[in-house]
Amino acid sequence: MTSQFDFILIDDSAFDLFIYEKLILKSGIGNSVRPFNSAQDALEYLTGQGERLPKTIILLDLQMPGMNGFEFIDQFDMLPETLKSQIRIYMLSSTIDTRDIEKAKASIHILELLSKPLEITTLKAILKD
Amino acid sequence: MSDSKIRILYIDDEEHNLQSFKASFRRQYDITTTVSVVEAEEIMEKEEFHVILADQRMPGMTGVQFFEKIRSKFPESIRILITGHTDISAAIDAINKGEVFRFIDKPWDYTYVENAITHAFDIYKTRAELKQRNLDLQKAYEELDKFVYSASHDLRAPLMSVLGIVNLALMEEDVQSQNEYLDLIKQSVKKLDTFIINIIDYYKNARGIQAITEIDFNQLVNDVTEAIKFLPEFGKINMITNINQTGVFYSDAMKLRIIFNNLITNAVKFQDARKENPFIKLDIYATPQHTKITFEDNGLGIKKDDIEKIFKMFYRAGATNSGSGIGLYIVHEAITKLQGTINVTSTVGEGSIFEINIPSVNK
Repeated sequence: MTSQFDFILIDDSAFDLFIYEKLILKSGIGNSVRPFNSAQDALEYLTGQGERLPKTIILLDLQMPGMNGFEFIDQFDMLPETLKSQIRIYMLSSTIDTRDIEKAKASIHILELLSKPLEITTLKAILKD
Repeated sequence: MSDSKIRILYIDDEEHNLQSFKASFRRQYDITTTVSVVEAEEIMEKEEFHVILADQRMPGMTGVQFFEKIRSKFPESIRILITGHTDISAAIDAINKGEVFRFIDKPWDYTYVENAITHAFDIYKTRAELKQRNLDLQKAYEELDKFVYSASHDLRAPLMSVLGIVNLALMEEDVQSQNEYLDLIKQSVKKLDTFIINIIDYYKNARGIQAITEIDFNQLVNDVTEAIKFLPEFGKINMITNINQTGVFYSDAMKLRIIFNNLITNAVKFQDARKENPFIKLDIYATPQHTKITFEDNGLGIKKDDIEKIFKMFYRAGATNSGSGIGLYIVHEAITKLQGTINVTSTVGEGSIFEINIPSVNK
């Protein structure tokens, strides 16, 4: 058995939250999935959890109303180190804009930019290491 | 009146030259004169001139040296040199260093000077227009860039959702639950279709030819609501329509249709499910000069922070599946093209009122 992870999904699309939650749970890779339809809400949740937060994988959408994915990353940067070290962020987006791609690559917090739709084999492969 | 006059600055160390120039042209042009190049520069700091005339032979600094000095700082003004005697090396310098537009020989001839100034001003105007066009073009490019960025997202996102659902459906062994996935695919496809229709509306509104016809508001509202009424999301909304039309009102039916369609659809989309009697109240008061249209609903309402931004392109208030943020932008564009205005008042939890005022288009 591969190890299981706790997931946080941040996406303004209710469709995509539904799809990826199901996909993660069905594939057996996820221990728990917590969906957020706004980056602001997710940030508040993280801050509220503090020390209690287990090791968590965040799948973060880019284009969202209100706080977008990159703005979330800017806020995330200011969180305490102890909290940040618990979290691994992957950006999950349908963007094909080269500026977005460059920006995601340049960010120290975004481990990888995954393109939608999320393929479970891809997710399994990157979480292995 | 003086605003439309050509503004001229004339520099000559001989006062009587300035006087005679003023005497000949002061009715035609807005003329400022000075005997000093130092003062000339100070004046130019404060005021903008279309044409600068300078005498070549002045103590301290020649006309060409003066032009060379001010050229990069005041590139818009067109330079004309006045010389008393033909000196070939001064002429070469004038063209190469001072980028002088014309020479005027002393003693000058009235028509010749007038001609030179008219042409100089034409060049000034053309350059200014070109500069403005370039700015407009740059703005249009930036908007296009933003448009393509957001539109490509809104076109691809529903497709990627469909692919995601297909992935999920393929993992499913239970055939029964396939229907649930098909339903999600259907919703996603519909969303994409709505966006494409919006883009076409946007294009028609922005680039299409205005078609002015007599507007029958009863007919128009009927056409629009017929299409919306039977959508499943219409729910139990009570639509109350009050139309008071006297006389003939001329406008662009296509733009009005876009406006009605978007505002009614929005009221349907953002209805408050918790309310007992959701309603949309549409009031139209039309005269041959002017039409006032109000849409009132008791839906979710719009947050104060969002109200100013809802007409911006691709601005989406609310984080749910609210659409692409193009609908109200198109509404605003259409109303602007009709030279009308739109006002919104809204309270979260209570509802929204959109008031639109449009003048009749004269045929």
